[in-house]
Amino acid sequence: MPNSLPRPNPDEEWESLLRHWQARQPTQPRPFFYSRVRARLTGEGPTAHQALPTWLRWPGYAAMLGIILLLSGDGAVLPSTNPTNEVKPYLGDQPAARALR
Amino acid sequence: MYTLPLSLVHGSPPAAQSPAAAADAELVAQLQQGSEAAFRTLVERYQNRIYRTVLALLRSPEEAEDVAQEVFVEVYQTVGRFRGEAALSTWLYRLATSRALKNRRRARAQKRFAYFTSLLGFDNQVLYEPVDQVHPQARLEEQQQLTRLLALIDRLPDQQQVAFTLRHEQELSYEEIAAVLKTTVPAVESLLFRARKTLRHHLTPALRHA
Repeated sequence: MPNSLPRPNPDEEWESLLRHWQARQPTQPRPFFYSRVRARLTGEGPTAHQALPTWLRWPGYAAMLGIILLLSGDGAVLPSTNPTNEVKPYLGDQPAARALR
Repeated sequence: MYTLPLSLVHGSPPAAQSPAAAADAELVAQLQQGSEAAFRTLVERYQNRIYRTVLALLRSPEEAEDVAQEVFVEVYQTVGRFRGEAALSTWLYRLATSRALKNRRRARAQKRFAYFTSLLGFDNQVLYEPVDQVHPQARLEEQQQLTRLLALIDRLPDQQQVAFTLRHEQELSYEEIAAVLKTTVPAVESLLFRARKTLRHHLTPALRHA
């Protein structure tokens, strides 16, 4: 008579549940696990050595930015020739200024 | 990611090493000399324990395999810096649990991202995590309880989940768990007490009404 059987106490149920949890876990990975680890190791090796540290790349980026700005063509960093109709903001010692005094 | 050198949290003096610890120390020495055979021995000795630990945390055989592989690759690449201040198994469990938690955080972030993009109308169905696989032959009641237990374990805080898994799945001692988590034995006891209390609190009504 299943209904007449007493239920286990909560502690027993808890332990039983934990045992079921342990039992349902697969015990091992798929076969040839070592071969896959080895293949992965072989695949990762060269890239790890080729990659430059991040800090080593920053000077390169800065130099590249400087070259781009220099060649960008807005002329801001190069002195232009003196145009003849340029307004002189200060006339201190020039003849025209002396005549006005 | 945990960094080397490992701190000495537990263990006995070198003179009183157990045979297993002495064998591991010898294995590490051979690994540091670049022995391929030693690496194979290491993998074969620990692959099941590492795989089971990671699987208990991630619940996906594919992800568990991937993380377990990563653990051994990292061991191979960094064993030169291992100074033997903690047990080899402690180091492996540390790598495994930290990588598993990192992997899970990434998966959850992807899941959140997929959810938001799905709200915007993009199709990202492939990013959803697969539903947890259940044993088809398990009895319904047991299956329901187990499913509920797994869901509850999954929602525990990271430290509690790792401590609970190492204790009940790997049957590690409190001292070994403390070494893996870089904490004290009383702290482990506290983590396990809180984890069990939370799980039992949420499971008891289901057990009673099942």
